[in-house]
Amino acid sequence: MLFNSAIFFLFLPLVLLLYWVAQRNLKLQNVILLVSSYVFYGWWDYRFLMLIATSTIVDYFVGIQIYNSKETATKKKWMLASIIFNLGLLGFFKYYNFFVNSWIESLSLLGYTVQNSWTLNIILPVGISFYTFQTLSYSIDIKRGKLKPTTNFISFAAFVSFFPQLVAGPIERASNLLPQILTSRVFTKRKIASGVKLIIWGFFLKLVVADRAAIYVDAVYNNVENHDGITFMVATVFFAFQIYGDFAGYSLIAIGIAKLFGLELMVNFNRPYFAASVGEFWKRWHISLSTWFKDYVYIPLGGNKSKKGRYLFNLFITFLISGLWHGANWTFVIWGAINGLYLIAETLIFKKKRSGLINIALTFVLINLTWVFFRANSLSEAVLIFKDMFTNFGIPYIGGRDDITAPVYTVIAIFILVLSELKREFFNNYLVLPKYLKATATHLRYGIIVFIIFYLGVFGNSQFIYFQF
Amino acid sequence: MTTEIKRVTLLILKFAVVILVIDFCFGIVAKKLFLSQETGKFARSSYVINQSKDAIMVIGSSHAIRHYKPSIIEKSTGKTCYNAGAEGQQLIYHTALQKMLLKRHRPELIVFNIDEEFLFKSDIAFSRLSDLHPYYGDNKATLNPFLKLKSKYKDLKLLFKAYQYNSTIVHVLKYKFAPQIAQKGYRPLKEEMTPEKLVSYTQHPPKKIYTEQIEPIFVQLLKDFISETKKHNVKLIFVSSPKLIERDLSKNESFTTIQAIAKAEGIPFYNYLNKPDYINKLDLFWDPSHLNDKGATLFNNNLVKIINKHLD
Repeated sequence: MLFNSAIFFLFLPLVLLLYWVAQRNLKLQNVILLVSSYVFYGWWDYRFLMLIATSTIVDYFVGIQIYNSKETATKKKWMLASIIFNLGLLGFFKYYNFFVNSWIESLSLLGYTVQNSWTLNIILPVGISFYTFQTLSYSIDIKRGKLKPTTNFISFAAFVSFFPQLVAGPIERASNLLPQILTSRVFTKRKIASGVKLIIWGFFLKLVVADRAAIYVDAVYNNVENHDGITFMVATVFFAFQIYGDFAGYSLIAIGIAKLFGLELMVNFNRPYFAASVGEFWKRWHISLSTWFKDYVYIPLGGNKSKKGRYLFNLFITFLISGLWHGANWTFVIWGAINGLYLIAETLIFKKKRSGLINIALTFVLINLTWVFFRANSLSEAVLIFKDMFTNFGIPYIGGRDDITAPVYTVIAIFILVLSELKREFFNNYLVLPKYLKATATHLRYGIIVFIIFYLGVFGNSQFIYFQF
Repeated sequence: MTTEIKRVTLLILKFAVVILVIDFCFGIVAKKLFLSQETGKFARSSYVINQSKDAIMVIGSSHAIRHYKPSIIEKSTGKTCYNAGAEGQQLIYHTALQKMLLKRHRPELIVFNIDEEFLFKSDIAFSRLSDLHPYYGDNKATLNPFLKLKSKYKDLKLLFKAYQYNSTIVHVLKYKFAPQIAQKGYRPLKEEMTPEKLVSYTQHPPKKIYTEQIEPIFVQLLKDFISETKKHNVKLIFVSSPKLIERDLSKNESFTTIQAIAKAEGIPFYNYLNKPDYINKLDLFWDPSHLNDKGATLFNNNLVKIINKHLD
């Protein structure tokens, strides 16, 4: 089920109604959360519910075993069992064909011809990268003594499958979400209002910014032979806003819906394009994933406590893995590697924290260059795009049949977004209204945003980009 | 809890009222802006739906727009004519447009330009129906069956005026500042085909927007189109306008089905496809499926004899 599908607008109120009617019965509320989450996921493909269920059962028991084991070695064995199971699941469904193909291609580069009879027809289960990381962190945190396992299976299963964030995050830590699921939730006007506001802004980002930009971006990136340098530059900048609108939009809707259930999810984006360095960008972009990699990859590797060479290596490896997490394609690996190199360069060159408009602009350009690899359909196309960007400017493409509407709407959408984020980033303490006007102004502001969504949005039930990861 | 429920209910109601008021007010502005268009595709369809009193109406896709010259038809018949062709649109749109037109005005003759692939399955035919949304407010009952063909919840979204006028503002501004040339709906193409262009078209043919399977909904719509004209006592002729390259139409199931329906319903069908006067005549075409102005003039001078035959 998609957040932007009509059926979801029937599903959500119904689930909320049942959930809050059962407010005095925590167990029943969690059963409702669990069942509704499985319905939400099963709407896409019920066969893969087995995977979530298995992952839940495995980590539920592994968690208890780790906690109950006296010996550190036994604890470690159980933790390894969880790691092997979750990464095995992810590896098979997401990376099996990629590794087989890469292996065959590298052999052919060495002059060996291998018949490709190893690849399988595998469907990538939606959200597998997210929920495997979530359950994995649960077991690791118990092993580290940071978390006590729960013995309430229903609550644990509801935590793993909590539908607003199940398929595209934020990747929640058990230490944040699980205690909330284990305790009574309170129905408050404040939470509902704040949830609704986030949902509305999330839909603006998705339908007005991301889906609008996608029209132009897809037209260009799916026909690279027919376009030139300036067009690629425009399409790449549009893609920067497309992916931000798409993913931050999804996260906001997820956080907003969680609030309607009385639950708080972590913030996933913090106006990343106002970052003055690549390092800062990664503190503002996909925060739940960045912190996951920091806690479970970078720090175990030694983090910045090791010698400089090793520290830079840790940084690079973490980003390389992060790139691979995003997709089973060399374009993502290179995207991760470039980000890693950026951070190494920043660490070596700049000693002080950077700020100011020039650094913001520079960071935006650097990040945009990486998006070329992220969006290109193949490495060879990415290379062609770069070549054209620097050598063959050409005439900018304005849209199919000279129809300028796609780029114009995208520019309008980006303008509204940037204006709003500028205000929040730099002028949050200005234009503060007196209390008696605040409620009316908020109603009006969000009413206008709803109007803009319907007036300028793209209503094609398009999927969220991060579903594929 | 009870107090909170009351507060939340009140909040939701207040916000719903705010949304409705904003949608109503801005919706009026959006409608005014939309109807203020004097040129462009929406200006043409608005004219057909809300104003036209023309005796002869041409309906069809881009082939209609580019091939039928009302000036020649009017001069020869002495009756008013309007070209209501809509670029990129297919049978669903044309049938909906015809229904909205006939609700208000009864022309003497409708010339329906038939594309040979009209009855083939095509998703674009459904997705492009958004061009009808701005007319939903005034034509709910007429448009509902068409708009709900693929989306059950369409009418829920269309409750919002903002959605009815979705993505129209740039069109409004674009044609305000750069008016589109049209002569009573006809949009001439000036350039001629060249052998080089033809080679390029043959090597890179445009992507097909249909799959070669008959869509039962389209078959029913074509029958509805015919019965609607009969119900309003309007004469109807089908015309397949010329194309550059000869084709084997007997293997085109969509085309043969249309021919069979026309025959069964007693609708005259004039087929200009494969006419030697036009085949391989590069100077008459802009691309392999669109006549240029010279070709359109030749075609219309020929067509008026047929049109005159069907007028009183």
